[in-house]
Amino acid sequence: MSIYSRLMFLIAVLLFCIPLFSQIRVEVTDGAIAEYNVAVSPVFTEADAEKAIANEISQSMEMVLNLTGYFNVLNKKSFLEKPETPVGSIEFKNWLNVGANGLIKGFIKSENESMELDLYFFDVANGKQLLHRKYKVSQATAKKASHRFIHDMVQLLTGEELLFMFAKVAFVERFSDGRYNLVVMDFDGSNREIIYSSKKIILLPEWSADGKRIFFTSYEKNNPNLYAIDVRSKRISLVSGYEGLNTSASAHPDNKTIALRLSKDGNAEIYLLDTSTGKLTRMTKNMAIDTAPSFSPDGKEIAFVSNRSGNPHIYRLFVDNPSRVERLTTQGRYNQDPCYSPDGKYIAFTGRDEFFVYDIFLFEVSSRVISRVTQNQGKNETPSFSPDSRLLVFSSDRTGRTSLFLSNVRGDRQVHVYSGQGEAITPTWSPEVVK
Amino acid sequence: MKKNITFLLIVLSILSVFVGCQKPPKAERELAEKAFRDAAVGKDCDRENYLAAEELLNRAREEYNNKNYKKARELFIAVKEKSDQIIEYYRTHPDECLPKVEEEEPEEEEFEEILDPAEDPNMEYPMVHFELDDYTIRYEDQRKIELVARWMKNFPERVVRIEGHCDERGSRDYNMSLGENRANAVKNRLIQLGIDSDRIRIVSYGKERPLDPRSNEEAWFKNRRAEFKRVN
Repeated sequence: MSIYSRLMFLIAVLLFCIPLFSQIRVEVTDGAIAEYNVAVSPVFTEADAEKAIANEISQSMEMVLNLTGYFNVLNKKSFLEKPETPVGSIEFKNWLNVGANGLIKGFIKSENESMELDLYFFDVANGKQLLHRKYKVSQATAKKASHRFIHDMVQLLTGEELLFMFAKVAFVERFSDGRYNLVVMDFDGSNREIIYSSKKIILLPEWSADGKRIFFTSYEKNNPNLYAIDVRSKRISLVSGYEGLNTSASAHPDNKTIALRLSKDGNAEIYLLDTSTGKLTRMTKNMAIDTAPSFSPDGKEIAFVSNRSGNPHIYRLFVDNPSRVERLTTQGRYNQDPCYSPDGKYIAFTGRDEFFVYDIFLFEVSSRVISRVTQNQGKNETPSFSPDSRLLVFSSDRTGRTSLFLSNVRGDRQVHVYSGQGEAITPTWSPEVVK
Repeated sequence: MKKNITFLLIVLSILSVFVGCQKPPKAERELAEKAFRDAAVGKDCDRENYLAAEELLNRAREEYNNKNYKKARELFIAVKEKSDQIIEYYRTHPDECLPKVEEEEPEEEEFEEILDPAEDPNMEYPMVHFELDDYTIRYEDQRKIELVARWMKNFPERVVRIEGHCDERGSRDYNMSLGENRANAVKNRLIQLGIDSDRIRIVSYGKERPLDPRSNEEAWFKNRRAEFKRVN
């Protein structure tokens, strides 16, 4: 090869690389917020009938961007350029002047029965389009498509996936007249579906490892038995019907074994149940209350609650050698409802502080450091991690009615996602279902 | 002038001698007051004398205050005598003088007349209450469980269910066990009292079924409970 051709090759490589170099990367350090300001120019549509959905999409994208904790979402009141400005005529100076690093623009066009949603992402400093996606959507799927876009955009910037947007949240809604609903919804509160409803008590839902079924306790037969409901077919089967409590299921990653709390021996103990054979293996053995098991992602450990020290605290046991039990929390007098993060880094739990306030806390497994996620915002309980370990869903009465909130693990981004006629309680995030 | 002063001195000295003679009858008064107080035991059975003594004492005090010490002394002595008579009367007439004790007795008998609720086949069960985060039976609730045990002995074919409940605070999951332990604590006490465990069922409702929906101490106390229910 001649020197000339080598030089040409090098130039070609350099030219190819330039766009990559010029792409901005958001520095993700331990979930800390990078100084990246993003402007979401309101999604534009000419048709009045689509104004509402366009507005919803804009707000939803802002909410998700905000929740990630990676971005500062700029206030649209400060924007200098109109939403209808076509992509080819963007004056990036207008966006630089409002402090934007990134710009999202969107357009909806009617196409017969359906709509076309165009979403764009630009690097403002370089005036460069980094992403364009075109979706065929309906009123029902438009928001989902915009979440897909945000997923791709964040993956482009950080290399990370926002799986929380594609998983479901199950929870119990409890009404003052004694009715209970088992509800499944999208992470943002949309597409709610009541999958089971009863005048008898419904308690403590938890997803199976494959995300197809939900374990829950019902008093339908006047004893708190554990059932599983198929989310699609709504078919219900009995999982555990021993005398006394059959509650608090937690799924092992093998999608066969669950940990649960039984009180058939006279007091609450944690068991493993092989749901295919019905075989039981006892994990705890003492006079104290042992409950609320939560498997670690590798299925080797179970975080749980015990009052063996006199007050309820968080412990963990090792499935191979269940007599090896380690106490994890020593602060406070009332720590409850542990939930292992899917990446194994944290155990979230509800703690009651010295002022009798209930808040969400995180126990970092490696450092044993406890941090507080909620504070001065009412009573906050029963945290559950998103499948990407990025967010928590929990119930809070900060608005006066017990409803559902999302928070990032730092606790500095929180969003109210559902409030109904009853109390929305014990939310639980599904494993990754759709991608 | 000098004569006048001398006269005044003489009068004053005579007056002082006279006054000195009439010293306040402190001792007599003390005795009389004490005797009168003691005589109160005969206030009802020797009423006439008691009123008389009271009258005398009032007069004596009046004279004393007016510095008519001679008269006061006589009266105090009389009060003392009268009071002693009342006490003597009280001592020698116990039948008349101890009426109060007799009056109390019929009331107590009336209490015993009330039927033991444990005899009633439709007895309304008592409710057992608990302290926060606790499942030990409080001292004041022991008698309630004893009553149910007596009832179950009287109606040996009956089976009861004990329902354990919690207040609205704290973990839903943990409260299921707390409610169960409350029901078990009551069950174990019934067994100690001789009731066959086959006749006792338990169930926990955790914090799902409050009696009082309010969020205050009064409601929380009401809701932390074990209830007895008839099974058959």
